[in-house]
Formats: sequence, C-alpha cells, structure tokens
Amino acid sequence: MIRFDYFKPQSLEEAFTLKRKHPDARYVAGGTDIMVQIKNREIKPSALISLRNIPELSSIEINGSARIGAAVTIADIAQHPELERIYPVLVAAAKRLGSVQIRNAATIGGNLSNCSPCADTATPLLIMEAKVKLRSPEKTREIPIADFFQGPGKSCLITDEILVEIVIEPPSEKTQTVFLKKGRVKMDLAVASVAVLLEMESSTCLKARLAAGSVAPVPLRLSSVEEMLEGQTITADLIAEARRLAMENVSPITDIRATEEYRRQIVGVYVKRGIEDLLGRSEV
Amino acid sequence: MSDYRYVGKDIIRPDGPDKAAGKAYYIHDLKRPGMFFGKIKFSDQVHARIVNIDISKAEKLPGVKAVITADNTPEVRIGFLRDNFALKKDKVRQYRDEIAAVAAIDPDIAEEAIDLIQVDYEPLPGIFSPEEAMAESATLIHESDARGRPRKDNIVPVRFRHDSGDLETGKKEAKYTAGGVYSTPLVQQSCMGTAGCIAEFDMNNNLTMWAKTQIPFLAQRDFNQALAAIGLRGKNTRVIVPTLGGGFGSGLDTHAYEYIAILLAFRTGHPVKILYSRDEEFAYLSPRQSSQTKIMQGCDEKGKLTFRSIDVLQDNGAYTSWGATYPSVMMLPATSLYRVPNIHFDSQMVYTNNTYCQAMRGYGNPELSWALENNMDELAEAAGIDPFEFRMLNSNTADETTPMGLKISTCALKESLKITADKLNWKEKRGKGKQRGVGMASLLHVGGGARIYRSDASGLILKLDDYGNVYAYHGGVEMGQGLHTVLTSAIAESLGVLLEKVFINPTDTGTCPWDVGTHASRGSFMAGNAAILAAKKLRERIFKLAEEIFPAEIEKNLKKILNKNPDFKPVEFDVKKAARRENFDMKDGLLFIKDAPDEAWLHLELGRFLRAVHFREQGQMLTTEAFYDPPNELPDWNKGYGNMSATYVFGTQGVEVEVDTGTGEVKIVKMVAAHDVGKVLNMQGLKGQFFGALAQGIGYAFYEKLESESGKIQNTNFRDYKIPTIQEMNFPIDLEFIETDDRFGPFGAKGVAEPGLVPTAPAIANAIYDAIGVRIHDLPITPEKILTALKKVS
Amino acid sequence: MKHEISFVLNGVEMRVRIDEHLRLIDLLRDKLGMTGTKEGCGEGECGACTVLVDGRAVNSCLCPALEIEGKDVVTIEGLRDVENKLSILQTAFVESGAIQCGFCTPGMIMSAKALLDANPEPSEDEIRDSFQGNLCRCTGYVQIIAAVKQAARKLKGSS
Repeated sequence: MIRFDYFKPQSLEEAFTLKRKHPDARYVAGGTDIMVQIKNREIKPSALISLRNIPELSSIEINGSARIGAAVTIADIAQHPELERIYPVLVAAAKRLGSVQIRNAATIGGNLSNCSPCADTATPLLIMEAKVKLRSPEKTREIPIADFFQGPGKSCLITDEILVEIVIEPPSEKTQTVFLKKGRVKMDLAVASVAVLLEMESSTCLKARLAAGSVAPVPLRLSSVEEMLEGQTITADLIAEARRLAMENVSPITDIRATEEYRRQIVGVYVKRGIEDLLGRSEV
Repeated sequence: MSDYRYVGKDIIRPDGPDKAAGKAYYIHDLKRPGMFFGKIKFSDQVHARIVNIDISKAEKLPGVKAVITADNTPEVRIGFLRDNFALKKDKVRQYRDEIAAVAAIDPDIAEEAIDLIQVDYEPLPGIFSPEEAMAESATLIHESDARGRPRKDNIVPVRFRHDSGDLETGKKEAKYTAGGVYSTPLVQQSCMGTAGCIAEFDMNNNLTMWAKTQIPFLAQRDFNQALAAIGLRGKNTRVIVPTLGGGFGSGLDTHAYEYIAILLAFRTGHPVKILYSRDEEFAYLSPRQSSQTKIMQGCDEKGKLTFRSIDVLQDNGAYTSWGATYPSVMMLPATSLYRVPNIHFDSQMVYTNNTYCQAMRGYGNPELSWALENNMDELAEAAGIDPFEFRMLNSNTADETTPMGLKISTCALKESLKITADKLNWKEKRGKGKQRGVGMASLLHVGGGARIYRSDASGLILKLDDYGNVYAYHGGVEMGQGLHTVLTSAIAESLGVLLEKVFINPTDTGTCPWDVGTHASRGSFMAGNAAILAAKKLRERIFKLAEEIFPAEIEKNLKKILNKNPDFKPVEFDVKKAARRENFDMKDGLLFIKDAPDEAWLHLELGRFLRAVHFREQGQMLTTEAFYDPPNELPDWNKGYGNMSATYVFGTQGVEVEVDTGTGEVKIVKMVAAHDVGKVLNMQGLKGQFFGALAQGIGYAFYEKLESESGKIQNTNFRDYKIPTIQEMNFPIDLEFIETDDRFGPFGAKGVAEPGLVPTAPAIANAIYDAIGVRIHDLPITPEKILTALKKVS
Repeated sequence: MKHEISFVLNGVEMRVRIDEHLRLIDLLRDKLGMTGTKEGCGEGECGACTVLVDGRAVNSCLCPALEIEGKDVVTIEGLRDVENKLSILQTAFVESGAIQCGFCTPGMIMSAKALLDANPEPSEDEIRDSFQGNLCRCTGYVQIIAAVKQAARKLKGSS
C-alpha cells in the first residue's frame, strides 16, 4: 500500500527540522519524477517534504547575474521574457522539457537533483558555467554545476542538504547559444542532446563551451572539444574534427531508448550542426 | 442517387455532448453496490512448473474477501482452441500467466494481498522464437491438447492456405522476380481507456458482466460455458457494454481477467471489479500479432504478374487467441490484391513462451500488405517499370471474381492509384533523389462484413412509444468509431423521423438482438442495412394502420380548425379515398398522403398517430425487428476459397518524405489517401476514422514496438512505448473519398474502419527507398535502422 | 494521517478531510464524485487526467492533493454553463468531430481551456505544443486542432 505523510513547510528551517525528524523522508518539489517512482514502487518514502511553499526557493531575480530559486517551475522559466533575452539556451531547453502539464509542476531544482544524464536543463547550465547554491542546517555552499553531478541518480548533496538556487552570470554580447535535443518522438526524454555556446570574433572562436546529455553517466562538458576550438579559426575541417572528438569523448550506453552507436552518432551530428548554426548567426 | 435528409450530411454525434461534459461512464467510473476490487497475481517466471502456491498470508489480511487459485476453483478453459485457462495450474507458459487473484474491499488492500502470495516454481527452458520452438528437441509448451491427447510438437493446429493455378508454370513464365523476408513487431492497441470489467451474480446465480468488449454475444456464449464449468450449467450471462475507452480489436476475445472476475464474484457473492492499470495493460493484455512473411513474386516482360508465393510464420505465444487467425484475413490481399494467376499462400503458427496475441485493427492485412506492397516496388524496379504504372497494369477491376472467390463488385483501385499519383505530383517528384522521395501502396479489405463465424448477422429492434420517439436496440458496439451516429442517421433517414427522436439504447445481450461483434469494419454496414430493413417493416405497419387511423385524425384536425375559424375553406381532397397504404409517406415524423396538397391539416404527427393506435380498444404498440444477414460465405479454409464479404474496399495511400541522413529521421512532407468508401454516410465521422487510422499507421511505421526480452515486455508505459502525439501528425493530409455506390451497402456505403492503416507503412517504406535507396524490411522504421542501412550501402 | 484543506472547486468553496498520500485525481474521482477526469496512465504521460490549478494545466495523477490547498481548481465538470449547456469550447469539440471514444476528451478540453485562456489566438504550432502531453488513439488529432481553432474564433466573436 502506498502511504506517506506529506508536509508543506513554509521555510527552509522548517524543512530541515522535518527532515531531521523523518530521516526516511524525501524532499519533493513538482513531484513529476518522485510521484512516478512511488507509483512504480521504486521508492517507498515514509514522508514527502514539499518545497513548493517556501518563498525563497520560488523566485527569479535578475540583477547582473540571474538567481533562480530551485523550486521555480520549468513553465515559469520557459515563459520568462528576461531570462529568454539573456539566457535563451536555458529557456529553449525548458520549452523542450516534457509537456505543458509537466512543465507547470516540474522545477529546475528537481530536474537537476535527479542527476539524470538526460536532464534537459543541465547542459545549458553547464555551458553557461552556472553555479548551484546548496544549503544544509549547518552551512551554505556554492559550487560549479559540473561538480553537482556525481553519477546517474547521484548528486553531491550530503544528508539534509537542499539545492536552493541556481546562479548564472550573464554571457557577453557576442555569445551565441543553441540547444539541440533528439527524442524518439518530439516529447521524450532525450536520447541525446547537445548544448553549444560560442563567442566569436569574426571567424575566430574566442570561447567555446559544449555539453552533451544522455551520453555519459552525467551531463557532460565536452572539454576536449572546447580546448580544440578556442583561439582557432573555425573551418569546415575543424568542425569535422570537433565532431569526431565529441563522438570519441562520450560514453553512451544501449538501453530501451536507443543504441550506443546511435547516441554517439547524434552527438556528432548535433555538435557539427550546432556550431554551424551559431556561425551562421554570428555572420548575420 | 437521391438527396438524403441525413445520410451524407454532418450530424452531431449523439454521444458527443455527454463525452464533452465528462458525463459518459466508462468501466472505470462504474460502481455496483457492495462491490469488491479484484487484483491478479501474474507469474514472474516465463516457463516453469508451479510447485506450490501459498495463499495463507494473503487470506489473513484484513479486508481480503477471497483468494483464488487453480487449486481452489473449478477449471475454466478459455480461447477458441481451449488451450488457455483462467487460472494456471501445474505450469506457467508466459510471464503474464495468471496464478492467483484476490478480491478485497479496496484496490490497495487487494494489491498488498497479491504481494503476500508466495509461489514456488521449477524453471523450465524458455523458448522465445518460432525457430527455437520448431527445433527437434524443443521442450513442448503444451504437452497435450484440450482433449488431453498428447501433442508432438509446438505447432498450433490452425492453418490457412491457398494454392491456385500452378506455381511452377508461373515461375517459368516470369522474366523478372523479386523476393524478400519482411517482419512486423508486437504492437499494443493502446486504448486510452484500459481494460476492465465488473462481474455480478444475482440470487438466482445468473451473471451480469459489464465488459469492455466488442463481442457481447460471443462473450455471453463464452461466459455461459464458464458458468457450466463452475457448476452453473443452464444459468445465463447478460453482457452489458458501457461506454468504451477505445477498442481497436482488444475486445474481440474474452480474457482471463474476465473469467477471474466471475470466479471472484461467485466465491464472494459480491460484484467484483477488475481494472487494468496502464502498465498492466501493456504487460498483461494480448497485443497485436507479430509476423514474418517470406514473399516472392514474378512478372513477365510487360510487367504482368505471373506468380505470387507467400509463406507466413507467426510466433503464436503461449496460448491461442485471434492472432492465430490473422492469416485468414491475410489471404485476401495475398490472393486478390492485384491480378495474379498462380498463387501459393501458406501460414504456420508456432507456440513459444512469448506473449500470446489478439486482434488489432486490420487483423493481418497491415502485416501482409507490409510485405506485399514493398515487394511490388521491388519487382517493379527489377522489371524497370515505374511502381505506379506497375500497379495500374496489374490492377483489379469491377465485377471480377478473384482466385480466392472474392466477388469484387465495385472497384476503385485504378481511380485511387491515379488520384494518389496526381496529388503527389508523382512524375515530377519520383526518382529525384536528394533525400526526398515519393512512394505509394494500395490495399484490399473487406467492406461488407466478414463471415468468419457461422453467422455474420446483425439484428435491430425498433420500438415506438406514445410520442413518436424511436428506441433502437442494436447489438453492435460503439467504441468511438461512430456506430451509434450512423445507426441514428440510418434509422431517421429510413423511417422518416427527426434525428432527435431516435435513441440508441445501451448494448446489452439482455435486450438487443444478436450481433456477431463489431469488427472487420462491419459496424456501419450491418447497422445501416438492419436499419433499412427494420424501418421498411415498420413503415409498412404504420401505413397499413394509417388506412383506418389517418382519415379519422384528419377529420379531427379539420373540425378543430373550423371551430376556431368557421370561414376556413379547406382545399378539395378525398382523404378517405386516398388513404391506401401504398399512398402514404412519412418525413420528419409527419405522416402524409403522397399526392395530397401540402396543407398543415393534412399532416399527421407520428406521436398523435401512435397514441390513436394505442389508446383504443384492441390497441397496439409498434415494435419491429429485423435481422440482417449479408450475402457472404464462410470460406472453405481447406481450399482457401469463399466470398467472405458482401463487398470489398480498395484504396491507395501515398507519401512524400524527406530523410535526414545525419540523424536518420524521416519527415513526412505530405500524405495522400484515396479510399473507396461506397458512400460517405457522415463526412466528419469518416474523416475522423481515417485520420485516426493514419495516425496508427504512422505509429506502426515509425515508433511502435513492444520490446520483448526472454518473454518479458520491457516497455510497459507510454514513456517507452511511443504512440504518435499531436506533434507527429504534423503534415498535410489530403484525404479523398471515392463513392462507388455499392449495391449491397446501406445507402451504397462500405465498411471502412480498418483500411486507413493498412497501406501506410509500405507507402512510407517505398517513399524512403525513392529518397535514399534503402529498404527497411522490419518494422518499425527507426532512425537507427536508416543509418545502419545507409552505412551498408555506402 | 488525515489533513483538512480548503480550496475552490469549479467556483465552489470546499473543505475536505483527506489522507495525506492522496493524489488530486483520487480526491476528485473517489472522494468528490468528479469522474469526468480520467486516469489513463498514472504517470503524467497521457494527459487524460488534466485539470486546471490556478489556471494552469497539470496532470492530476502526479499532483499531491494537499498541494491544492488555497488554490482554484477547475475540472471538466466546471465548464458546463448554467441550465446544463455546454460551453463554447465543449461545443466546438462536439461540432468539429474531435470526439470519438471520448476518454481523452476531458483532458483535451481542459488543456484547450488553459491555452485559450492565456492565448486567445494561438498559432497552429502553439496549439501543437500545448497538446503534446495529451495522447489520443482514436482521432489522429486533426479535428482536435480544428476544434480549438473554432473555439478560438467563437470565443473571440462572443467577447
């Protein structure tokens, strides 16, 4: 029988107290992942501690950098004009996540905390080198998002710690970004995804950041590709090399959704097309 | 063709408003007083001896009312070969085998009780392919048949074959040949409303079943046999069909869960509801039959087909349901789509430990057409002929009898081919490469019922009340396809009453006349013809009675008018003289004499007429029945011969595709479908059926496959079993209906529920070949397969 | 553990006492008799359970009932006009042939309502985006899109 207590703390302190009292409890925000896991009896928490009603987790502040509360819904991110203007790649990914109904409940904190390699918001945040703020009763720390993901389903959160905020610095004027996602049908968990950031000075690449999803144990920065591109004139040959390198540096698996070969192939194609797309925009 | 009042017009479907308001009641919403909830324990072994089932802990759980197994219930055999059992004893043969079941006061407790049941198994080697099952030393999945006679192999004793002409001659005469092996996967019907039922006994031990079924009367027969098995011989089942959340063939057989609900209801003395959750539906309900087809065809120099050889191998799974009879339908296109003189068709079904399969829309035709229509293009290429021209050259025409004995009356194949080629800009687009291509495929299907049982009939009762309301009792099943819409308009049209005066009663074996079931696209064809027959009888009775009643009532009309307006001068007309049965007509519920002046006082409203007939000495109420049995034959399956349907439908679909050779994705640029429908009964409903079928065709072509690994279905949810969403239907669809006005069809209409998905997949495959020169033989056509095939070619 | 919550359901103030683990769909269907909302999958994939919470379309099968405390919930039952008349949106679905078996219909209509309330003149792309979480096996979606467009036209005309 599926039974659990359900708490709705109004502050972080209250949330921490509840977690201390119910060590077996799980934090939940939108519930779009956890409720499915409970239904399928993959997890059997004695209680759920909802983070939806804690004001400091639910706001978006843009003041130089952007501070997005972990309990902000994907829908709110997808429909935020200022976020779209300054961080279009995050908004693009938010728009590709699930359906309207899912986006109205799912949160960015939830999407990240699951530490699924498929998390749609992860690759955009990786290429923007976002930071995540983690709080526990004892302390607060801010770490680069790349350090947050430790393995499939495994974050670096220690007991009682909650992801509370995502912090992103605004990109430079010349920065262009793109998010590409492949599903079996349009609304799907990513079979493979790629996010690309380029800062170009005419045809020279000043800065390159690339990340790939669903092709490694964690959402993955493609550092070797970045190093190869930076400071170079981007030619067709270089793009082909970037593609090859990207394909070499991911470690996809075969599962019910796709084969390893196919995922690798998509990463290569998307890296190539992503770069070409951004070059085209830079030229305009 | 006269102008109809309702037929051919768009009418609001009678069940639409309730469905839009959330007021329609599906099996999910139904409750009976004192109802318990049933849950089933399924096997977690694929092939094993059952050593022991311990239900003691489950029985003790508070709230549990009964726990049943094959050990504490009488044996109930199910399936047309009687090779299946409601609850499994001795042995499990597939992952979905039903081992035990619980009835409890709520579903949660039932679920918990299921977990407390302990089963000990002795595993046996699992067999997961027909080839393995046919090997010399293969373990027998069924050691004996239903009569207890020992079996010697795993081959299912069901065979459909046809041999006509002389294959060797045909091969000799062929200048060009093409052959290949094609396969189709397990696919789930994926009704939005899952399977379920409520079983309830009354205190006389008669059973009522609220069932998600498409065969209420055959189900009654099946359930009555079960009643006999549990010691209630002579007792009766009444099957009531609630609003269905879809069917698509999943309700064409009776299922173990239904018999289990009956056993639980009998044991507890309470109504018991069993409802499948979505993952249970995927894991434990029989899916569409998979197939493997070996085909070879040849043609002469000019491109005329000289022979066709088809062998079908099917993985029957552990038990037998309608999947095993797909080849009976496959035989139709195999022998009769296009003209071909020398034919070999054979089929083999083999037991394995995989899931067993049931009907799904198309019932073997999509499977066979997948092979046939791909192969037609291959042969056309070998012969150097354009595939459109090739099909035209070999097309069937009207009024021919095919090698299987199918009597083609009207045939719009050539027309549908031409329309498709035109709308696709075939000549301009074909063979251009650059990752863009066009392809087409055609179909032949039954359009006038399908006699695959002793009767293919459909009855209708029309009952008139005192107000001119017409109550219809019909045994067909409305599952969304619009049967009740067609029936309503056919009755209103044929009888001559207003649409809103016609009420369709729930489908109920206790009240409705017999109908074999809503399948084979027969619903509208049967209901329409039954309506025409019944209405004719009813009108005859009304007009006969009118000879006496009409003049008296008209006189009353006149008196009333004259009372109010003494100066009224009625037009000259001898009502008494003209009141002969052959002179009457009725329109919009108004009785009138055909040649009479069109004056209001000369019309008699049906309700008034009926009250006059009723409220007098020796009064009458009017109820009429008709039993429509179509002019078709039960084929001789030994010979593979017989005119199975009263009429046939042809059609062609074409697509233009664009292939992304980087990702392997296929984009549909445009889709064209030209279908012979006989007559459009309701344009909106007809379009809806075709759009829905095309969507299923798209799913079949690109996305749908139940992944079975060692007999266990791996993708038991919509997350990993992908059906097309609104995004995947994102291309223009040009639908054209060809009205051939069939003489057997009601108002000229043919049955068309299934054809929409028959040629879709091969049309797409043929277009992909035109675009990039690769042909995928195994559905679904995934991007992975495209990329792999492209790699091989380069 | 039982918990009391107050919320507004189809314009009516409600106060109920429920088990904490209850999903919104269970509260609606089992406790409040609102069986118009359907459970098609229980996992947020099919959208048959779509209802509006504070004007937003959500999967009620994934929403803990306690989360609607203080919120405004609208289900398919709430769309009916006074005098038992269908709303313009529902009528558009009926008239456009957008209904076949009807199981997905309440969820579709609620998604349509959320869309049109926020975006009275959606483009076809916007319509498709709004419905990708509503599965239908019967209609092929074409007439559903037509229904939404018709409703948008009629609602514009009547405002």
